Amino acid sequence: MLPPFELRRPVSLAAAVDLVATGGTPYCGGTELLAVMRLGLASPETLVDLKRVPELVGITAAHGEIRLGARVTHREAAASDAVRTHAAILAAGAGLLGNVRVRATGTLAGNVCFAEPRSDILTALLALDASVDLRSADGARSVPIEDFVEGAFTTVRADEELLEAIRVPARSGPSAYVRFAPAEHPTVTVAVVATGDGCRVVVGAVGERPELFTFPGTGDVDPTAIAERVDITEDLNGHEDYKRHLTAVFVGRALEQMGVADA
Amino acid sequence: MPELDVSTTVNGRPVEMRLPTRLTLADFVRDRLGLTGTKVSCGMQVCGACTVLVDGDPVSACSYLACDVDGREVLTVEGLADGGELTPVQRAFVDCSALQCGFCTPGFVMAATALLRDEPHPTEEQIAHHLDGNLCRCTGYLPIVEAVLKASRAGGIDE
Ligand SMILES: Cc1cc2nc3c(=O)[nH]c(=O)nc-3n(C[C@H](O)[C@H](O)[C@H](O)COP(=O)(O)OP(=O)(O)OC[C@H]3O[C@@H](n4cnc5c(N)ncnc54)[C@H](O)[C@@H]3O)c2cc1C
Ligand code: FES
Ligand code: FES
Repeated sequence: MLPPFELRRPVSLAAAVDLVATGGTPYCGGTELLAVMRLGLASPETLVDLKRVPELVGITAAHGEIRLGARVTHREAAASDAVRTHAAILAAGAGLLGNVRVRATGTLAGNVCFAEPRSDILTALLALDASVDLRSADGARSVPIEDFVEGAFTTVRADEELLEAIRVPARSGPSAYVRFAPAEHPTVTVAVVATGDGCRVVVGAVGERPELFTFPGTGDVDPTAIAERVDITEDLNGHEDYKRHLTAVFVGRALEQMGVADA
Repeated sequence: MPELDVSTTVNGRPVEMRLPTRLTLADFVRDRLGLTGTKVSCGMQVCGACTVLVDGDPVSACSYLACDVDGREVLTVEGLADGGELTPVQRAFVDCSALQCGFCTPGFVMAATALLRDEPHPTEEQIAHHLDGNLCRCTGYLPIVEAVLKASRAGGIDE
């Protein structure tokens, strides 16, 4: 049974921001928040449902970037032509994560704000060098995803800030996304993106937050070196040795997927 | 206890009720509407026994607020058979023996119905990916995949 709470349903961004400024807790798909409340780990007095706020809807592509409003679900992102074309690894991660019900209900914004260490979305967004737009009653700011997530379940978002949108630079170069998920959440996630001036490799799920490794080119990526350096947290998904081994194997598979020889 | 007025459509029938904000969709359909076909098992979005469709999308009714169906359409397993006439998905589950104890079946049938609506001719791989979040302790899954393939050949979600 869930603890009791007020449910507010604003129909404008300004009203939503005001409700959050006065102590309301943002709520969208509820796939994480309701679970946490049921476990007794949180009992917010007021939930501010974002699902009726028109400003938070939809995916748009313009000025060399893709903007995903806070209401966009994993399912919408995975099916979007703009995301599939210009941020292919984000479409891949969103289409693979969790299960069909989580993908239909859960949002990318909720995923990013929850900052679960085994997030497919954070892995893909870090590799793509994305940023998030935050809004409060006092103003707005934009934060690179690299700086947004501080650690497991912690971000720099202030309680009174809403995540309004995720912005991803449009890229059409080679990229790859692979994951190993014997259970609900992945044990390892790997994203590789070749940019004009180098190669970004992100390893996620094995540690507190996804970690970025950069190389001059895809040919320079060394799976073994990454596996030796990546921060590991031992947990029910596995011991350190196992996770380092998986990291090397899955970085190798991502490179293979990109067609890099000798991976 | 905080409450809200909810106006929704369940299996084609309009429903207007004042509901506690903390009531889940599963408790709403089971306890308030007597639609006990929807099952609750894990209560944590993992097993899919509670799968119902909201505006055509599959959701975990165990972890979904009843108030969130305000202004939307809900379809539970009871809403499928038209006057006792099974849908092709339901028929195929029977024909392929895709159930034993049957506890998981309403969830699988709803998930399969959602899949065939979007993808009338799915591959085996697409079926497996789509049903990945529905668990069955009895059948070993193969008859379930077979049933979805059969339903898709038989014309998908409608007769
Ligand atoms: C069974 C299961 C399996 C899963 N598997 C995976 C997986 O494999 N990979 C993966 O990456 N994820 C996985 N997830 C997590 C899933 O992606 C997230 O649950 C979902 O995307 C969260 O979005 P939501 O809209 O439901 O967030 P909510 O539950 O509504 O909110 C989550 C948190 O973010 C806050 N919040 C939400 N929106 C905003 C906003 N716009 N501004 C500020 N704060 C906000 C809320 O206050 C809350 O703290 C899984 C979840 C479940 C239940
Ligand atoms: S009871 Fe809802 S997913 Fe298991
Ligand atoms: S038929 Fe018994 S759990 Fe699936």
